[in-house]
Amino acid sequence: MFDLVLKGLGETIYMTVVVTFFAYVVGLPLGLVLAVTAKDGLRPNQGVYLSISAVVNVLRSVPFLILIYTMLPVTRFVIGTAIGTKGVLLPLFVSAFPFVARLVESSAREVDRGVIEASRSMGASVWQVVVKVLVPEAMPSILSGATIAATTILGYSAMAGVAGGGGLGAIAINYGYSRYNYAVMLTMCAVIVVVVQLIETLGKASVRLSDRRLK
Amino acid sequence: MALIEIKNLCKTFGSGDGAVHALEDVSLDIEQGEIFGIIGLSGAGKSTLVRCINLLERPTSGTVTVDGADMCRLSERELRQQRREIGMIFQSFNLLMQRNALANVRFPLELSGVPRAEANKRAQELLELVGLGDRLRAYPAQLSGGQKQRVAIARALATNPKVLLCDEATSALDPTTTESILELLKNLNRSLGVTVVVITHEMRVVERICSRVAIIADSRIAEMGEVQEVFLHPQTEAAKKLVLPSRAGKLEGFVRDGESRAVDECRGSLIRLAFDGETTDRPIIADMILSLGAPVSIVYADTRSIEGRLYGHTVLQLPSEPETAEKMRRWLTNQGISFTEEE
Ligand SMILES: Nc1ncnc2c1ncn2[C@@H]1O[C@H](COP(=O)(O)OP(=O)(O)O)[C@@H](O)[C@H]1O
Ligand SMILES: [Mg+2]
Repeated sequence: MFDLVLKGLGETIYMTVVVTFFAYVVGLPLGLVLAVTAKDGLRPNQGVYLSISAVVNVLRSVPFLILIYTMLPVTRFVIGTAIGTKGVLLPLFVSAFPFVARLVESSAREVDRGVIEASRSMGASVWQVVVKVLVPEAMPSILSGATIAATTILGYSAMAGVAGGGGLGAIAINYGYSRYNYAVMLTMCAVIVVVVQLIETLGKASVRLSDRRLK
Repeated sequence: MALIEIKNLCKTFGSGDGAVHALEDVSLDIEQGEIFGIIGLSGAGKSTLVRCINLLERPTSGTVTVDGADMCRLSERELRQQRREIGMIFQSFNLLMQRNALANVRFPLELSGVPRAEANKRAQELLELVGLGDRLRAYPAQLSGGQKQRVAIARALATNPKVLLCDEATSALDPTTTESILELLKNLNRSLGVTVVVITHEMRVVERICSRVAIIADSRIAEMGEVQEVFLHPQTEAAKKLVLPSRAGKLEGFVRDGESRAVDECRGSLIRLAFDGETTDRPIIADMILSLGAPVSIVYADTRSIEGRLYGHTVLQLPSEPETAEKMRRWLTNQGISFTEEE
């Protein structure tokens, strides 16, 4: 049992970290582009905003399990396998990055318009406003969003256990649910709860430490 | 040539039925080194006007020239360069909340690529100049309103601009802090020679530091000139409304109100004394009462003494006997105090 927990935990953390990382590599710039090109943004651009928005909305409205099955061929082609821990990385990423883009967009739009205005009055370019104002000023909110993203991704990675994924979710289903071993199932659930709590605590602490408005 | 030249400036927001004409045919020149006030009621178009100076708002028509450059014709790059010549401060300070005071002042220097060490040195000097040499590492959340505005001023001056635009810079501050910020602006104007444009809805701000003023009402310049001239002898209705609130509102209320004790219509006529700083700060009305042995009532007074000189308005009700009233008028004339009859 202990070995199972350790194996599942390792896989779950691996999936969560890798997917969260790549979801931000793509979602962060995308979210910033959304914030900048929005109607009340720095460089309003309906065309860009609406096209990205459309992609994001479509990906977000496909139910995750269906996404896994729809993506099977692509996953096999890109990753080499469509099962196990590695097999669910791609579908997890595809469902996570649009979510992250929206989180980042809303964080960036929370930044006080007056501050952006002031930076423009000092001769900042759009790029400088994004890099030196939007991101640093929104950082506490972005970190808080990242906490939500990471826990959500962890939850989805567990769900992927049903469709041949790995990690704690897969163990709960394959060793617990399928074999009527409720002890295993409940243990895995408890571990998931603990990990989520841990992420929440870490996230809250990083938000508190990074936010200079609170001191 | 004036440092800032605004010609036939119009700004319309929106179009069709919902169009708002925020500025209509505004022309004014602001000279190098002066402190120029723009005063008007809320919604008059003041913010839109200053924002057209650094092109945060693009004029619908007309031209804005700052230091010889036609702002509307500059390329994106040139405009960013030119904005470094135009500092701006705001009612809500608009500091970067995640940067400390030093890093806030360093911000415009970072934008123009000044090396870190040099930028830090300059930022520190500026914070010392505005009296915050001991709060370099403080974050905006740890500073009072007045201190935040000082950081904002230091930041706006970091690139050595020729102009400092102040949009309601003291409107969020208490009277004492307002006074100290105005004092600072005046000192900076004197010591650095920076031209200051002050937007406000408060007369005392203009009186305190401006040499010239433009009154803006309903999207147009109603009146413009030396502060004393405009405030003491307003010509247009819009200017009178702003400068002499009593004439439009309070005083009429007094006169019409039958219950009022302050003005008795059976008694003598009302006169308005205007003090334009020519009179020294001595008790004129008390002197007059003592030397003529007859009482007057003060119906309204809005005067203040600046550097021992008296500025403002007082409305008196003279005694009902025409001879005594006439004596008083003569006495005032002899003292060199100008007055007008109120109807
Ligand atoms: N971005 C905008 N869009 C539409 N209307 C605006 C905008 N900015 C200002 N206005 C309108 O223009 C008028 C002048 O506003 P403003 O210049 O802010 O006045 P003030 O600063 O004197 O209070 C107001 O009627 C205001 O509602
Ligand atoms: Mg305004």
